[in-house]
Amino acid sequence: MADTMVPAEEPEAPTNRPPAMHRLREWLQRRYVRHILIITVVVGFLLLPLAWLMLAAMNQSGGPASSIMEDIQQTIFVFTLVSIPITAFVFAVLLYSLFGWKGKSGDVPPNNDNPAIRTNAVAVITWTVSSSLLAAFLVVWGLIELADITADSYGSTSATGQPKTEDALVVNVTGQQWVWTFEYPQYDKVATDILYLPKDRPVLFNVTSVDVIHNFWAVELGIKIDANPGAITQTGVTPNKEGTFNVRCAELCGLHHAYMETKIDVMPAETFESFMRESGAGRTR
Amino acid sequence: MSAATIHQVQVPQPKQHGKPGGIMRHLNFFTGLVSGVVLALVFGYVMSLQFPAGALTANFANAAAGPVFWAMMVGWVVGFMGGMGAFVGPIRWLLGRDLTHADAEFMAGKDQGKFRYWRFTTDHKVVGIQYLIVAMIILGFGGLLAMLIRTELGITWMEVFNPDFYNSLVGTHGIAMIIAMIVVVSGPVGNFIVPLMCGARDMAFPRLNALSIWLLVCAVPPLILSLLVGGIRDGWSVYQPLNAQAGPGMIGYQTTIIVFAVSTALASVNIMTTVLTMRAKGMTWSRTPILIYGAFAAAAMGLYAFPFYMYSQILSMTDRLVNTSFFNPIEGGSVWLYQNLFWLLGHPEVYVILIPSIAVMMEIIPVFMRKPLFSYYMAIAGIVGVVGLSGLVWAHHMYMTGWAPQANYPFMLSTEMISIPVGFLVLVVIGTMWRGAFWSRLPMMAVFAVIFNKMIGGVTGVYLSDVPADQYFHGNMFVTAHFHYMLMGAGLFGAMGGIAYYFPKMTGRYLDERTGSIGFWTAFAGFQITFMSMFVAGLQGQPRRVLQFDNMFDISNWISTIGAYVIGIGMLIFLAAIMSSWRSGQAAPSNPWQAQTLDWQTATPVPLENFPVLPVVTKLPYDYGVPDPLAPKKLEEQYDEKVGAPS
Repeated sequence: MADTMVPAEEPEAPTNRPPAMHRLREWLQRRYVRHILIITVVVGFLLLPLAWLMLAAMNQSGGPASSIMEDIQQTIFVFTLVSIPITAFVFAVLLYSLFGWKGKSGDVPPNNDNPAIRTNAVAVITWTVSSSLLAAFLVVWGLIELADITADSYGSTSATGQPKTEDALVVNVTGQQWVWTFEYPQYDKVATDILYLPKDRPVLFNVTSVDVIHNFWAVELGIKIDANPGAITQTGVTPNKEGTFNVRCAELCGLHHAYMETKIDVMPAETFESFMRESGAGRTR
Repeated sequence: MSAATIHQVQVPQPKQHGKPGGIMRHLNFFTGLVSGVVLALVFGYVMSLQFPAGALTANFANAAAGPVFWAMMVGWVVGFMGGMGAFVGPIRWLLGRDLTHADAEFMAGKDQGKFRYWRFTTDHKVVGIQYLIVAMIILGFGGLLAMLIRTELGITWMEVFNPDFYNSLVGTHGIAMIIAMIVVVSGPVGNFIVPLMCGARDMAFPRLNALSIWLLVCAVPPLILSLLVGGIRDGWSVYQPLNAQAGPGMIGYQTTIIVFAVSTALASVNIMTTVLTMRAKGMTWSRTPILIYGAFAAAAMGLYAFPFYMYSQILSMTDRLVNTSFFNPIEGGSVWLYQNLFWLLGHPEVYVILIPSIAVMMEIIPVFMRKPLFSYYMAIAGIVGVVGLSGLVWAHHMYMTGWAPQANYPFMLSTEMISIPVGFLVLVVIGTMWRGAFWSRLPMMAVFAVIFNKMIGGVTGVYLSDVPADQYFHGNMFVTAHFHYMLMGAGLFGAMGGIAYYFPKMTGRYLDERTGSIGFWTAFAGFQITFMSMFVAGLQGQPRRVLQFDNMFDISNWISTIGAYVIGIGMLIFLAAIMSSWRSGQAAPSNPWQAQTLDWQTATPVPLENFPVLPVVTKLPYDYGVPDPLAPKKLEEQYDEKVGAPS
């Protein structure tokens, strides 16, 4: 009877700290959680140089040569940084599953004592919310950057939406199997097969094709638009770097698609003016 | 009219004429082949009589070539399907000699031994195996072309093939692989496994089932023949108006697509009806295995996506043959119309390939982890979300076409949203792996490979979904590497895991673990080498579908080509494992993985009507594992621990 007289120990009084914090702390103290977090960080740091290596690969041929290309590279850089944590986490789980929780071979399933985790509301909610936030960030970033490069491309400012065409250089780009022709209507319709551009002056391209679909890709300037037969598509750019860059066709256009490439020569504005005057004079006489 | 007593009711039966099967006893693949070839030659000859000798088109091409090739294609399709016996059922019905029970049993391949695989057999297990074999043959053909393409790209100092043939290689490789990947999981798994998993005796429409596989077989020769008459020089997307410049080989492509689209529509309807109406008693929507959801989702997407493709090719065909100029800009047609129709197929089709493969992985993981599928409802939500969004994203393939620059904003939004349901599927997979020791067999190891590839494919897809980044990557080798990571890395490696998993049920033997694993991991290593360096080539700025390029791309292409040969070796080893195991592998019991889904609860080899007694389902088939010792305790349990449970 004596032991029944001993008053039962009172359950622990509720503390001020929320139970969720208790559970998070208990969870973080588990060995596998710590290991997975450590592996995540390590894998993340191993992946981190990719952000710079990708840009290095893109800049191998001399870019970026315009603000548009800089925006594109910035987007790629940020996307790489954003996707590294989630990739690293998934890889860490895979690695820990392979080497931490380990596998056993054999003819019959050896592991009949794994915990039956049917779902976990916290994990589901955390994952859904964080992946939605990530996606939202990517969408918002993409929309802003797109508006930005669209404004740059069409020579308009996003504030006014008005084209700044007074000083813009117009180039009519024509694709045909398998050469590019660049025509300068402001300079006596001079036509060249190399794209000559002045530095720091907005350029508006009217792109079309005479036969099949081509794609006008000024690689280091970061612009790309289809050349469609029977339609004119527009794009634009302001080169901000002198040098020799590449135009490639990025849409399969038949037999010699691979050879449908040419050079871009970005030169100082004065040189461009005199060059065009000479070419135009040579052509009209 | 005779009559049979079924459940004490007199049911009138058609009269049996002659032996069971009637004329079907004499029809098989070989009679189909002969009658297809004969009819193709006859149709071609009749069409050639319509043209005077030496008639030329406006482009000084042979005027007869296109129409004659078209007539031959029509002759081939009608002749082959007729010779196979595809029209026997309807014709007998029209003649008032409907199929009897004995005829139906004959058509299901009863007591016919191996030869039933060469006939118009309605048994879903025969059809499933036929799908597997046909898909493997097309994969082998496409893989051979891939080796030739990589050879050309690896030998950077000269042109190995002339550009025309190279372009044909690229186009034929593309479409052959797309067709093979669409059927390699949906075909065998959808036809062999899904009815078993539903607890059904067969598919809902067994004769349509036979029709869909033989239409697929019928669609392959035109594709291969087209290489001989000008080829598909325009990539697998065959954009207009480049399409219109191609030789008569393009008619082979169009025939293939039209026939394949019909085959896919029939197969989709069949799978959907089976899933909707023939699940076992008690298999409610919350007790249905996830693979059935996956197969259903793929069928649903195929059903709405493939008609667009078929229309685009029918319109292209009439453009070519009778100058309808739907897509000819010079006569008022629109090249963008073609692109819209094409990509309305093009993007859902990617998920038609991916979703079944991921669903098979989701069946494999619980079995080899001996854990329930983590968050089953989230897996369903992920599949439903992907299906829902798949139809709203097609124009992200057209960001750079200048078609509607304003449309880039909404399409970027919808495309990036897809990462959310796909993320659900990733969570389900890693949640199921969480805290479990796995059973290290080839199907499970394939899961690791697939998730690795899928993460890389998914993350690179995020760049491509973004318009500014796509402005650099569109039409670039980066895209090629990305979709190979998705379709091959997740799709094909998933299919290899799926084959290893279902091999014991399909053949009664284990897939040889050692040879299979060597092949699998060799191919996996080669795959990483090939496509990682292809990403580098893309970042450097190499366009797609070129056979010559700047010297700056040489190194990445050399590495890529070496990797491609390693893939080839690995795939051959895997193929050898399949063939040797099929003939003389270790015999497997009927449920070697001790799985709980219904497909493993029947005998191996599966008897003609699958189950002696139709099963009844009472729970979700993922009832593995023990109660979780680390699960957070309920308040009452915590109190009981402190105070002592009431006695």
